[in-house]
Amino acid sequence: MNYPVWDVVFGAGLLMAVVAVLHVFVSHFAVGGGLFLVLTERNARRSNDAALLGWLKTHTKFFVLLTVVFGAVSGVGIWFTIALISPTATSNLIHAYVWGWAIEWVFFFIEITAALLYLYGWDKLEARLHQWYGWIYFFAAFASMAIINGIVTFMLTSGRWIENHQFWTGFFNPTYFPSLAFRFAISLALAGIYALLTASVQKDAALKARIVRWSALWIVPSLAVLPILGWWYIRTIPASIWARARGPMPTATHFAFLAVVLLAVTFVLALLTLIQPQRLPLAFSLMVALVALGTMGSFEFVREAIRKPFVIGNYLYANSLYAAPIPGDGGFSVDKLDDVGVLTSAKWLSNREITQQNQLAVGHEIFRVECASCHSTDSYRGLKHYIALRQWDQDRIQAMLATLDVMHNGAMPPFAGTDSERAALAAFLASIQPVAPSPPSAAANGRTVFERNCSMCHQLRADDALFARLPKDPSEASNALRDLPNLFIRMPDLKLSDEERTALVDWVNTERRMQTNGMAVPGGN
Amino acid sequence: MMEPNLIPTLDPNPLPAPYWVFKLLLVVTFFLHIVAMNLLLGGAALALAAKWRSKNRVFVDVAKKLPVLLPATITLGVAPLLFVQVLYGQFFYASSIIVAWPWFLVLVALTVAYYGFYYVSFQNGQNSGKSGSVMLFSVVLIFLIGFVYSNNFTLSQTPARWGAKYFAHPAGWNLNLSEPTLVPRFLHFFTAAVAVGGLLLVLIAFARWKREPDYARQIFHFGGKAFMYATMAQFLLGIWFLAALPRDLRILFLGDSALATSLLVLGVGVAIAAILLMSEAIRRENVRLAAYYVSGIVGVVILTMSVMRDILRDAYLKPYFRPDQFVVKTQWSVFPLFLVLFVGGAILWLVMLKRYGLFAGKKAEQEAPVETPELTGAAR
Repeated sequence: MNYPVWDVVFGAGLLMAVVAVLHVFVSHFAVGGGLFLVLTERNARRSNDAALLGWLKTHTKFFVLLTVVFGAVSGVGIWFTIALISPTATSNLIHAYVWGWAIEWVFFFIEITAALLYLYGWDKLEARLHQWYGWIYFFAAFASMAIINGIVTFMLTSGRWIENHQFWTGFFNPTYFPSLAFRFAISLALAGIYALLTASVQKDAALKARIVRWSALWIVPSLAVLPILGWWYIRTIPASIWARARGPMPTATHFAFLAVVLLAVTFVLALLTLIQPQRLPLAFSLMVALVALGTMGSFEFVREAIRKPFVIGNYLYANSLYAAPIPGDGGFSVDKLDDVGVLTSAKWLSNREITQQNQLAVGHEIFRVECASCHSTDSYRGLKHYIALRQWDQDRIQAMLATLDVMHNGAMPPFAGTDSERAALAAFLASIQPVAPSPPSAAANGRTVFERNCSMCHQLRADDALFARLPKDPSEASNALRDLPNLFIRMPDLKLSDEERTALVDWVNTERRMQTNGMAVPGGN
Repeated sequence: MMEPNLIPTLDPNPLPAPYWVFKLLLVVTFFLHIVAMNLLLGGAALALAAKWRSKNRVFVDVAKKLPVLLPATITLGVAPLLFVQVLYGQFFYASSIIVAWPWFLVLVALTVAYYGFYYVSFQNGQNSGKSGSVMLFSVVLIFLIGFVYSNNFTLSQTPARWGAKYFAHPAGWNLNLSEPTLVPRFLHFFTAAVAVGGLLLVLIAFARWKREPDYARQIFHFGGKAFMYATMAQFLLGIWFLAALPRDLRILFLGDSALATSLLVLGVGVAIAAILLMSEAIRRENVRLAAYYVSGIVGVVILTMSVMRDILRDAYLKPYFRPDQFVVKTQWSVFPLFLVLFVGGAILWLVMLKRYGLFAGKKAEQEAPVETPELTGAAR
């Protein structure tokens, strides 16, 4: 609202994710790969292994072409992209952490120079001096990662920074060290995984086998230690945040599962390379790299997903609104907007009042300033799809918008604005996916009613309020469901039809019976 | 149409050091970035010109430098990009979002151009035709990147244009083509790059002077003349740029502001001196005169132009931006650390170059360039 919103048709979040995942996959290689280069060079020189040195020279070229070009440009790319998608967060981070970035820039400069000198120095420099450049490269690259890690983890777990706004408090936040260790282990594994790529195109079978075995020494232990480091990482994340990855928040849950599975697959594939290391084909090493990319991407998706609803933990929501009013926030906090309205506060709107004629246009503009940082209308996290899935009409959308912040265990920011603005947004959302009245068969299915209307907050388990507290008597229960906010103030004011209520109550009672009969609740955990 | 209500509000975090610290860092790092960019773009453009005039060797020689000059441009560009966000984020983010797609595509163009330069340098004179096409493609991409930069930064200084552009195309497919200073400003930058590219050739000539006098003389003349013609063209472009400025900003440089006016006079005067000196150096075939003195003088010109650019930005933003809008709360627990690491990093950087043999001086230029006694001695 304070800044214009870049209207990316396929979803700004997707663009950010693509840039970020590709960047981290190369930038982590840039750290571990640096250590790999110097240690491999040292070993090769000690054992007078000319063939290995010859390969390492080619590998250096590959390394520099990938990290110095793609790695560096995509790193700048993350800056470009976050500034386009989350300018408010970027501005806050820049002012709070500019000295961190400035220090990182010093290391970045050293890193790039050392990488080029190491590459061009292969034919020109005496062995020890050449390795000296390699070590400088590695330390600079590691330092660069250690700094960025401080800022990235701060965004997830801002810790006590919220209270004192001190640089180092935010920097050495609760997840700083586990994340650094976790990322460093990833970078060591990636050093080996990328080495498999250039190894697999070697013609000398004995050399290829040596490189593959040596690479496995980087991959296997690093991957083996990742679950332990991951456990440490998870333990330091406050339970309230981590809960988002277990159950109610689909994105985080799916990607957490995917990360674990893909990690295991990478591990197995890496071991398989050892069966016939002298015959490792390029296709196989490419597969290892792709699965590793999937693992890394999934991990980053989990981190991003559990950080939601925030872009800076407990401080700034993903849609650039401040979580609580603070001096200097320009009035862009949820409380203030609820009070005075979006149309009077937001700068980048062309409509300033709602009329019968412009309601959809206003709704579209509110969608843009409040939702578009994460959602598109019909592609990435497309609301059209969600609405179709749940068959919400305009009234239901409007009711649900009032309680966004309790959905999915609090993964979304609250709607900010007045009731008429909420109605305009609902009108717009209903217009992108018009919903026909439900056929009686759907209304008669209690499970469907639950999934469409309750499952955003309620889970199918005995201790969930819906199952624990809804009156057992069918007519009493059905009556109670007439006025949801009366049951609990944060419930949406849904007007469920008589059929829907009856079906839901029947289904809830059936599930209860199954549970008391000792049968496992399907989907419950 | 004035729409001052579109100017974004500052975020609540204070400025973590005094305003002038960031201003100084911004201008100095921008200066370094622009020097690297000029060497890159000007060098590459002249390499193409040389190829067109069948001077393939010059092409190959310059092409080998580009994979180093581009990362230098990028790494030196990161710092001003950081500091401009510290001071002018409100304007920079807003205009970037308005031109979001061209701005984002800079990254794609940069990556492709970068690999293009590497491709040409690895060919080492082979595949001449293909190298030329790839080089042309990369140069065009860099040229377009510069053009997008000019669009974004001119737009960031003219908030009055924001609303109309954004509300017409919120998807970010905008440029700032209606800005009267856009073309002269961009050409002013590009032509400066050609001039400095000429100096790159002079420096290459200087390094080869003793070993290959004929070849060195050839590139000295080529580069030196390119420098002179490009710099002469700057007088016309500069006048065009100045004429295209809004009147109240133009008169700043024509007497209204003592600082702006003296910088302009200084810049123009020193540029004339550089042309005369270069012409004298070519006439006397004194490459050292060109390599040392003209380069030094041009450094002064670029610095004055960088400061003038900054003065102009602040003049454009005067109705919307005041340096005293910031609450300053210096982060004493980390700012000194930056200074120490910055100085230490600069020293380490110089040591790295020195041990590599890059400063081995004329001895190295005349003899084998790398395995100097000093170098191997230092390594033991």
